Amino acid sequence: MGQGTLGGEKVRTMRAGRRRFPWYAYLALAPLFATLAVFAYYPAASGIWHSLYEWRPGFDSPFVGLDNYVTMFGDDLWWKSFRNLGFIFVFGVTIAWAIPLLAAELIISLDSKRAQFTFRTLLIAPMAFPGVVTVLLWAAMYEPNNGVINRVLRSMGLGVLAQNWVGDPAFALLSLLFIGFPFVAGLPFLVFLTTLQNVPTEVFEAAALDGCGRLRRLTAIDLPLMASQLKLLVFLATIGVLQYGFAAYLLTGGGPDNATQVPVLRMLGVAFQGSDWGYAAALSTTLFVMTILLSVVIVFVRRRDTADVRPL
Amino acid sequence: MSVRSDVAAPRTQARHAQARRAQARRAQTRRTRGRRQALIMLALGVIVFVGLFPFLFMLVTSFKTNQQYYESWWLPALPLHLENYSRAWAQIQPYFVTSVTVAAAAIVGTVVLCSVSAFVFARYRFFGRNVLFGLIAALLMVPGISSLIPMFVLMRDLGLLNTRAVLVIPHIVGGSVLGTLLMKTFVEQLPQELFDAARVDGAGGPRMFVSIMLPLSMPVLGTIALVTVIGVWNDFFWPLLTVTENHLRTISAGLQFFQTQNATEYGPLFAGYAIASIPLLVLFVFLSKYFLAGLQGGLPGVGGTK
Repeated sequence: MGQGTLGGEKVRTMRAGRRRFPWYAYLALAPLFATLAVFAYYPAASGIWHSLYEWRPGFDSPFVGLDNYVTMFGDDLWWKSFRNLGFIFVFGVTIAWAIPLLAAELIISLDSKRAQFTFRTLLIAPMAFPGVVTVLLWAAMYEPNNGVINRVLRSMGLGVLAQNWVGDPAFALLSLLFIGFPFVAGLPFLVFLTTLQNVPTEVFEAAALDGCGRLRRLTAIDLPLMASQLKLLVFLATIGVLQYGFAAYLLTGGGPDNATQVPVLRMLGVAFQGSDWGYAAALSTTLFVMTILLSVVIVFVRRRDTADVRPL
Repeated sequence: MSVRSDVAAPRTQARHAQARRAQARRAQTRRTRGRRQALIMLALGVIVFVGLFPFLFMLVTSFKTNQQYYESWWLPALPLHLENYSRAWAQIQPYFVTSVTVAAAAIVGTVVLCSVSAFVFARYRFFGRNVLFGLIAALLMVPGISSLIPMFVLMRDLGLLNTRAVLVIPHIVGGSVLGTLLMKTFVEQLPQELFDAARVDGAGGPRMFVSIMLPLSMPVLGTIALVTVIGVWNDFFWPLLTVTENHLRTISAGLQFFQTQNATEYGPLFAGYAIASIPLLVLFVFLSKYFLAGLQGGLPGVGGTK
């Protein structure tokens, strides 16, 4: 009695159910599809459709063809926001992954399983706080006069280094990125840790016998073993970064001087401050298309790597 | 014989010396090992401290007056000003109530929709099954932020702005898509024999759904509920844009407003942040396994939670 036989039985019972017309199946699915039709498919389609109009909700909206997209190509702020986004992405997959990787390596070097568990739990504990609280706390720490960071700098006699962290265009984007430092509480850390914990200890022992140092082990064994997970994380980060906006809204609102402008904030600004709904729809359609393209890439990469990618 | 013992004596001596040396080496490696373990723990301790620092700072400051904060920003100061918490609660309480109501409604809606559809997809074969399921799975690719603009206009046209329904609906939609996918996988893995036995005993579809599938699906339903709570608690832009009446604000949008009201008083401000953090912290402590699975949008115990 192998697994194959069990699978075969399942298929057979399902085939048996096919003889009658299964109206009840459609009936049971109706509520879900009705909800999705109104609140998922329709908005998605309406957004794409209205990006071709000068959309004035509640009034008549003249058709303008691709004018909104032409405006978009000339919109310096929109493209600048993508430059910021590129910076955020590069920072996010380098510096913001180096520390989690270090932490994961440190944890698996601990002998005691109990200590491993304790440190892992403490390291991911910041995940349990609402994102808004984290951002607002960092905003308070960045505060130029009474914020913790400048107070520490002054008390150490380094008052010269004290900055208007959030208000100075030169520092605003970096300040935004350092929210959540040391970046350990997140998915990348958990992925690194799980991957390393799943490596059979014999591999590490063999490496140690061959006189493989810790750094060599990282580059020759750990990172190659993580390759497929890293690839997946990079793609997830790409998609995630397109939706980046909430921390920027809370900390800087896209300012100062648009130093922290990101596409999502630009889109919301166009819609809610500029009331230019058609143009906002074009911007959101652009973001949507970019996400879909990236998702398709993910699906292909995942399919090729199915043997390697363990489900999280 | 004598020759042999002559040879054997130095050999045993050598073996003893070797053993002694090996023992010494082991003791030394144990010592260096102990030292290395201590160093690793120290390094990890530093990372943990830096990561938790903002929250420790929040906790310490939430008991202070501004005066105490200016005297020392990091030392806990007596007396503890517990009234900071009652002042913050008075302002935050409506956001709390809204968030809990919205989360509860979203959980009920999500669970009802996704458990029925997952059961049908996993246990019945009918025309168009794969296409319909693909239609649902495709929605996972639609990022919430890109349908925000048309969704807002739709809600405005339906006259739902500034109601609780407008806060609940997106979570039901998103939750039932993810939930259907998670649950379908789960229900497919339940042994067919259970359902066959029930059918032999004369149970119909609804009976199997209520008596077999639902009780067995509790873990996955729990995960879906937890994902929904985390989603409602952290959702920011949607409640910010669709609700302007103060008592209808959820925690995230409410805290932002609360911050603008109390920006100059650190004690009550941080007390408010602390209160807003409590529910998710409690869930994290008691349901850590499901919590992590929820954050990763997956099932508990499939890795990642070792």
